[in-house]
Amino acid sequence: MDIIRGPLRWLGTTLKLMTYNKAGFIGFLVTLAILLMALVGPFFVPLDTKTKLDKIYQPPSTEHWFGTDHQGRDIFSQIVHGGKDVIYVAAVAAFLSTFIAVTFGTLSAFAGGAVDSVIMGFTDIILTIPQFPLLAVLAAFIKLDNLTLLGVFLGLLSWPALLRAVRSQALSLKERDFVEAARALDLGAGHIIFRELVPNMMTYIVISFTLAMTAAVYTQVGLVLLGLVPVSSSNWGVMISLAWTQGAIFFRDAMWRIMMPILAIAVFQLSVITMTRSLELAFNPRLRTMA
Amino acid sequence: MTKGKLDWQMDEHQNGKAPLSLQNVHVSYATRRGKVQAVRNVTLDLHAGESLALIGESGSGKTTLGLAIVRLLPETAQISPGVILYRRDGREVDILKLDRNEMREFRWRDCAMVFQAALNAFNPVLKIWAQAWDTAKAHGWHDKEAVRRRLVELLEFVQLDPKRVIDAYPHELSGGMRQRVLLALSLLLNPQVLILDEPTTALDIITQRTIIKLLRKLKEDQGFTMIFISHDLAIAAELADRVATMYAGRIVELGASEDIFYRPRHPYTLGLIRAVPTVTGGFEQLFSIPGSPPDLIDLPSGCKFHPRCAFATDRCKLEEPELEEVGPGHTAACWHWRAVEEELQRNPLHRGVLSVLQAISFNAEEEAVS
Amino acid sequence: MSTSSTSAMAPESQGRIRSDVSTVKGLRRVADNFYVRRVAKALFTVWVVSTIIFFLIRLLPGNPIEQYIARLIETQGMDYENARMQAAALFAIDLDAPLWKQYLDYLLNLLRGNLGVSITSPGTTVTSIIARFLPWTIFSVGIGLILSFTVGILLGLMMAYRREGLLDHILTIFASVVSSIPNYLIGILLVVWLGVQWKVLPIAQMRGTLSPGVTPSFTFAFLYDALFHAFLPIVTYVLTTVGTWMLSMKGSTIGTLGEDFVTVARARGLKDWRITTAYVGRNAALPLFTQLTIAIGFVVGGSFLIETIFQYQGIGYVLSGAIAARDYPVMQGVFLIITMSVIFANLLADFLYGWLDPRIKVG
Repeated sequence: MDIIRGPLRWLGTTLKLMTYNKAGFIGFLVTLAILLMALVGPFFVPLDTKTKLDKIYQPPSTEHWFGTDHQGRDIFSQIVHGGKDVIYVAAVAAFLSTFIAVTFGTLSAFAGGAVDSVIMGFTDIILTIPQFPLLAVLAAFIKLDNLTLLGVFLGLLSWPALLRAVRSQALSLKERDFVEAARALDLGAGHIIFRELVPNMMTYIVISFTLAMTAAVYTQVGLVLLGLVPVSSSNWGVMISLAWTQGAIFFRDAMWRIMMPILAIAVFQLSVITMTRSLELAFNPRLRTMA
Repeated sequence: MTKGKLDWQMDEHQNGKAPLSLQNVHVSYATRRGKVQAVRNVTLDLHAGESLALIGESGSGKTTLGLAIVRLLPETAQISPGVILYRRDGREVDILKLDRNEMREFRWRDCAMVFQAALNAFNPVLKIWAQAWDTAKAHGWHDKEAVRRRLVELLEFVQLDPKRVIDAYPHELSGGMRQRVLLALSLLLNPQVLILDEPTTALDIITQRTIIKLLRKLKEDQGFTMIFISHDLAIAAELADRVATMYAGRIVELGASEDIFYRPRHPYTLGLIRAVPTVTGGFEQLFSIPGSPPDLIDLPSGCKFHPRCAFATDRCKLEEPELEEVGPGHTAACWHWRAVEEELQRNPLHRGVLSVLQAISFNAEEEAVS
Repeated sequence: MSTSSTSAMAPESQGRIRSDVSTVKGLRRVADNFYVRRVAKALFTVWVVSTIIFFLIRLLPGNPIEQYIARLIETQGMDYENARMQAAALFAIDLDAPLWKQYLDYLLNLLRGNLGVSITSPGTTVTSIIARFLPWTIFSVGIGLILSFTVGILLGLMMAYRREGLLDHILTIFASVVSSIPNYLIGILLVVWLGVQWKVLPIAQMRGTLSPGVTPSFTFAFLYDALFHAFLPIVTYVLTTVGTWMLSMKGSTIGTLGEDFVTVARARGLKDWRITTAYVGRNAALPLFTQLTIAIGFVVGGSFLIETIFQYQGIGYVLSGAIAARDYPVMQGVFLIITMSVIFANLLADFLYGWLDPRIKVG
């Protein structure tokens, strides 16, 4: 029973702490809904691929919740099916860039001296190179036809700002009493990093991850929009890209076709960013012990 | 303004009336838990040329009272009921009735406040001169040359090298220097009243001595009207003509410096004096007042000091004593002030007062030598 | 710099130890100088970026030169030697020389401003393309950034002073929403709503950088026309960045309002306006200058998509065209110039910061 009760209590505390910030909690719920829709939705909503000439560009109705596109296909089903890939690529990229940022950011803060100077010097240089053009130029001669590869590629280039933030966070932790105490007791680097630092940086790591995801969604959809990523599946980015290249954005009736994927991305970004406010509370060790 | 000499002016046109009179002043803060009664029923006259010390533990309301006089309390604070009368050149105003701009003009020109945290008292991105010039301009003094001359005089007075300080940024000065600059700046507009909130706290001992000497000079040579807020009794003993002890937002004892330190009549004042560590005495004799200051939201009944008081009786739990005359110009708010007097006769103040006196005589010697 | 470096080489011959010491001291003072350090860092970054680009172009498998050679052989039926020669001419690189010499030549060419020739429009140098299109990007991005920074700071200050009020709540929601929507989506939304659905703006006429027949001159008509065409990109830059500035400034101002020097300034009887601007505002805005570094790169990087969406012919528009047409010399040159602009803008931001915060020059 304890095996179940422990995690349940953990979940209960987490949820309770998250409700302390109302906006953050709403963001969390919406994020959850979008994730459910994107990951589970496709099993319930079949993708509408049939061309129906009599139903071109219909506004939303009870039959077609989000209206229909230029071939009379249901937009809602496309939105449901178009989230998976976007979220997958973003998650891969976010995982990689958070991993790089946390590892090297902490290393930089704790090693200090020459290691710190080299890492920060390098980070500063990468940071000044405008990311989006760099990705676009690189994408021009590296074929990114695989989703995982695209994610890795985005992750490898989007860590510098995060690293700087992680480093300054680690620096302030380094000065705290409990870390000083652990060092004075000579508990070893492993103990200090995994027992003292990581739990205290958890908030930060989780938030870094979510923010890295939104950054990855941004670049990913941008690259798709420019036609630089030959991803064949239909996803939100591709939907906007097609609407754009086909000139649908200048066509009054095509509004729902353009607005829906834009809304999907915008709502996803907004809710994830808002969610971080609640995450901040939920992963705060001080609040956790109080609750 | 005469050149080379500081132009202090004592107001002689007051017809003996105090420049500052506090009548029945209350300050409270609205918080989520309830109303914090930070200052209650304070009535006090500050006479021209006198220096008054407000002493008490932290949370006794002394800083709040100081801030109330210049109305710099946070927005959640409310000063009412109460009247704070200010008199200059035969005119009399209630500070609490001044409008925004009148209040702004009153600050620093009539009443300057030197803060505890002088380390951060200056805008880090402006040079000292620019901040002095800002102050002068805000009060309609637009003669740049004269302001500069005055600032140079004042910096010399606080024993700083004007050439070094005037064009320096705050971060280029040490903590003690900044405190002295703030003191100099507080005299810029020749205010009638000076409020000093813990003027020596957080400074090293040598800098403390320097500041105390300067303040003494201000008091003795120039006859400045000053209020000291301090938890350090030694400083109060050295600088004050009169002392007011505050407890739980009220003045519980008020009298001449000598009376307070030699003949305290309120158990709290007595406790404070006995709690002063001595240079010679061992720490086993060190006395401390039992308990901690009361919760200002939920004050005890009767005399607010009764839970911590060795003299307390049932009466103290029920009725709150008012200030009553216990000697010439000496008042105390205690039902049992006579018991305190008897206790003092049985058990004279040796350690505590001695140390305070030592500090005074030490300083006097120093003064004599220099 | 030049005088101190010559004297640094001379002291031995002068045979005076004292002058040696003072020269070293002088040199150290120069090297410790805030501005000198920043310029050195910027130059170093430019060098690193150019080096990275060189090796990407020359050494990466499937690098642009090889791809171009392969394309020439395939499409024009050229033999390998001829194709290679043409590629070398286009990229301004001597492919037969040893790599270090190629690298040196490349750096020297950069210094001379020789970035090669465009593939798609033969005979046009990359430098001339940059000279023609870059000013428009600087114009629109510069105005956008300055406008959004200023407006963001003012609104953030106002939000902090009226926090928890209705205005604060509305502006906070607005700032959160606009700062989380990707800028190109805001661009598309502007086209869809202002141009197509509501027809408030003549989208088609606003394309390009100038109307036909208008030539650059110091006239009001020219300025008006330039702003007319840059209007949508500028609005997009402002909308997508202003939220971040507002929220940062609000937080920073609330922190500054609690500082002792603000209380002391009030005790000194300063006028509210002076306290708000020189005491609260200036100190609260300082941390935002450090964020400017990231923002400049982001906006310049993003301008590339925005210009494509609005068909605004700046350097980003050229870059997306070059990428689509695989015009490698243009890609390389434009990317380099975009990076250099960002570095330069950062340098300016640093100088401004150093000028505003006297503490920074010491530490």
